[in-house]
Amino acid sequence: MTMGKQNRKKGRNILFSIVFLVLGFILAFSYRTLGKNNDVVDLESGTFLHEQQYREELIGQQERNKELSDEIASKQNEIREYEQSFSTQEKDHEVLVEEAKDLRLLLGAIPAVGQGVKVTLRDAEYDPIEQNPNDYIVHESHVLRVINELRIAGAQGLAINGQRITSYSSIKCTGPVITVDGRTFPAPFVIEAVGDMEVLSAALHLKGGVIDSLLRDHIVVTTELLKEIRLSAMRNEG
Amino acid sequence: MWLPLLGLVLGISLGLLSDIQIPQAYGNYLSIAVLAALDTLFGGIRAHLQQVYDDKVFVSGFFFNIALAAALAFLGVHLGVDLYLAAVFAFGVRLFQNIAVIRRIILVKWSDRNKVSNTNVPD
Repeated sequence: MTMGKQNRKKGRNILFSIVFLVLGFILAFSYRTLGKNNDVVDLESGTFLHEQQYREELIGQQERNKELSDEIASKQNEIREYEQSFSTQEKDHEVLVEEAKDLRLLLGAIPAVGQGVKVTLRDAEYDPIEQNPNDYIVHESHVLRVINELRIAGAQGLAINGQRITSYSSIKCTGPVITVDGRTFPAPFVIEAVGDMEVLSAALHLKGGVIDSLLRDHIVVTTELLKEIRLSAMRNEG
Repeated sequence: MWLPLLGLVLGISLGLLSDIQIPQAYGNYLSIAVLAALDTLFGGIRAHLQQVYDDKVFVSGFFFNIALAAALAFLGVHLGVDLYLAAVFAFGVRLFQNIAVIRRIILVKWSDRNKVSNTNVPD
């Protein structure tokens, strides 16, 4: 009897221990899995939460879109301003380019092409009556006078015997020849000027002007009006 | 006497140390199982105090209730009805009833003992 009772008690103990083992396991496991994140409610309303989340995302995206479109508008304004300032700058730039071209023409840095006049100064024929040969040869002062007259009349480019004359050029008398920028040239002197040919020739033929005084000095002057004169750029080799 | 306690400790440690991860969606089953286990436990204690305790009823009830609760929750999730609330309700009510009965029995026993001791003192 006592043995049977003990056996039954033992069996009950084992049973109880199994039951308690399961109970403890379930308790601990649920505590561990559910206790650490308290969003049990979230599990029940997962779809709602998802919806909420998506809605927030949508709102965020819309806000972002608004920001971006605002940015686009401001950028377009900026671009318009840039374009306006650019166009005004372009105009300025055109003017500057024209000015630079004119200045370069004056400097002789670029070839000058256009209508103009060609003035040829030739020594007079030998005249035995004249004792002094200086009285009938072309002097540098004659050349200078012609050059100055042409420049004042608005010549864009000048050349003596193909040598470009600039505002820095020097014209010197060296005996029977003249030196232009270090290069010597004998007579006859061909002075070419690019510019309005009517104006230039009128300036030269003024009464009491350059040509009159040259003729008085017994210099043979011929002027030609040319539709196209091509002056090469200034050569710097000296 | 020490064997069930050992089992409890072993179970708790096993539950805490095991790193099995279950999906969040199955958390309901676990809580239902816990409720069922507690209900059965208190039911067993009540039966023991009422001297109607039976090993087979207790053990089979323990495991069967857990399985049933989990199955009910599973069915509820798949049907779209929160059926596990029914299990929670049923187990909760029974849990309270069982605890109430246990409390009453213990109170009666305590008062009886007091009465006996009280009657004993004058003697």
